[in-house]
Parts: sequence; structure tokens; C-alpha cells
Amino acid sequence: MINQASKELQVKIVYYGPALGGKTTNLVQVHDHVQTANGQKGKLVSLATSSDRTLFFDFLPIEAMAIKGFKTKFQLYTVPGQVIYNTTRQLVLRGVDGIVFVADSQYEKMEENVKSFQNLEENLRSLNLDLRDIPYVVQYNKRDLPNVAPVEYMEFLLNNREVQVPSFTASANKCEGVFETLNMITRLLLNKYVNEANRKAA
Amino acid sequence: MSPLPELIEEDISEVERAMQELLLKSDANVALLLDKGGFLITKCGNYQKFDTVTLAALAAASFAATQGIASLVCENNFSSVYQQGEENSMLVLNVDDNCLLTVVFSANISVGAVKYFAGTSVKQIAKQMKRARTRAPQAGLDLSLLNMADPTSVFRKKRAG
Repeated sequence: MINQASKELQVKIVYYGPALGGKTTNLVQVHDHVQTANGQKGKLVSLATSSDRTLFFDFLPIEAMAIKGFKTKFQLYTVPGQVIYNTTRQLVLRGVDGIVFVADSQYEKMEENVKSFQNLEENLRSLNLDLRDIPYVVQYNKRDLPNVAPVEYMEFLLNNREVQVPSFTASANKCEGVFETLNMITRLLLNKYVNEANRKAA
Repeated sequence: MSPLPELIEEDISEVERAMQELLLKSDANVALLLDKGGFLITKCGNYQKFDTVTLAALAAASFAATQGIASLVCENNFSSVYQQGEENSMLVLNVDDNCLLTVVFSANISVGAVKYFAGTSVKQIAKQMKRARTRAPQAGLDLSLLNMADPTSVFRKKRAG
């Protein structure tokens, strides 16, 4: 969303993926470790159950930097991964600008990863959106666990479309790969804005 | 859902005028205009004691959830959400495909009055948004000076220690 009056560019990034894959952990790590210019970091709001499972979403607003006088405000959301909460996932996807798909690298989670990705595509379609039009990146999380699948195999399962998107390995609980992922989705998003601006100018 | 139109000063001042008028007539405390995706577009009134960014995100989500509930009870139009409190109450109203108007007011004030005055404001805001949408989008955002090859300046991790 571009607001010329207050010189603001607001961007919504949604972390998507199977249950217990580490989406909330990604946000917690960003919240704990991000370096902002003058403390422009919002509160991390978590609508979770008593056992820390995301019920509705987590929400983290951050003001990143000024681009040509525009304040860039990022809003990071997660969705609940559990299959039954699909309606909530659709609600959170509304108005999404960019997506981070957080996959669980453990072998036994591959089916859940693939199903969650299919669910993402279905939910976008229900909102008249297409994954081909939305910048997204894939994160292979939990690489620090012993029973992980090779990255090549996960690429084959989850990043095997016409256009291969950037992917990252991560151990979100140790904050490894978290910022690399966030910076890449930001880069893709800003690139998209530049292209749109150039197209308008042409 | 079509994306939110690009808003210029004229749009914001017209929208704020409608919101100010609502606050004045209804004696409400705060009015917020939000995008349905959860972004805060603009705010009026005594909002200093509220975290309006989070309020916007949660109000939009709550409205969206209510729409989900509406379809479950075979109703396709719950046009507003009202939360009654002991000190403050809140009303979220649908403006158009993109926007919501959120009003926070003292619990002593009747919601009927707020709703009545908000009706006019909602129409004025919707009209201005329509104007913004039909305006030729000449003033795009030029980010061409940004170094796309090196996005590391955007988010930096704090150094340990």
C-alpha cells in the first residue's frame, strides 16, 4: 500500500507452512534480534493457545528504512499451521504482498510440507490471487535436527515450479537463516515495486 | 479484491475531514481508517494512548473473522462489528471493498448515535476512495536508486554482546 500523503509504503509478509514448522519462531527471532534505526520496532502480538500453538496469527510491525523519503513499514504475520484452521489462514492471507514458506526439514514432515504448500495455492486461488504473481521464498527450517531430508530432495518437492524461487536453510531457534530469508523476500518485494513503477513511467 | 488505490494528500485530508466530523458529532474518542489487510491508513482523535498499528491489524482480522462467521450462518452481509466494553466500546464498519472504519468511544455513548453519524462518514470516505481509484495513477513510487543487489541494509541482525 502506498500512501503519498504520509509518505509511507506498507508491506505485508505472511509466513506460511505446516504446523510446528517454526513460523512463530522466525518472528520471535526477528523481533529479538532486529536492529532498527530508532527503535521503530513494534510489539510482537501473538494470538496463541495456552500451549503456544498459534490460534489466529502472530503479528509484528517493523519500520525498516526510508527509501527516497518513503517510510517502509513491514508487517510480518504468521498463520496457524494446523489443518483445521484453514479459514483463519485465508483471512490472514488477505492483502498479502509477499510470502515466506517455512518447511520442516524432518523426513517424516515431507507429506505435511507438500500438503501445506498445496493448501497455500488453493487459498490464494480462493482470494483470486496466483502464486506466480506474488513474490515468495522457501525456508528449509530445523536443519539442526538429526533426521533432516537433503536440501535437493526438498527443492524437488517444494521448489519445482516454472520459476524456481530463492530458498534458504535455517535453524530458526538459533536465528540461523532467519534474516537471510527476510532480506530476500524484502528484496523480491522491492524489485516488484520498482518494476511496477517503471512500467507506469513507460 | 482490487488493491488499495494510491492515496495522495487530497484523499487523506478529505477522509480526515469526514472522520473529524464524526468524532465531533458523536463525541467518540478515536477514528481509524484501515485497509482490510490490516494496515492503518490514517487516524484522528485522542489516539495517543492506543497502539494504533496493532489495533488496526487486530480490528481488520476481527472484522474478517466476523465475515467468516456470517457465511456460516447463511448471511452474506455483516456490515459492522460492535464490541461493548465497560469504559470504551468499539465499532468497526465496512467502507468499501478495501477499507474499514474503526471508532473507539466511551461506553456511556449510545452505539446507535455513533452508527448513525458514522453512516454519513462512511459514504464520504467511500466516495473519496472511489475518486482515488479512478484518478490516473501517474505518481508511482520510484525506487530505482535503491541497490537491489544488496538488500542487507534493509534488515540487520544486532551484533551479539
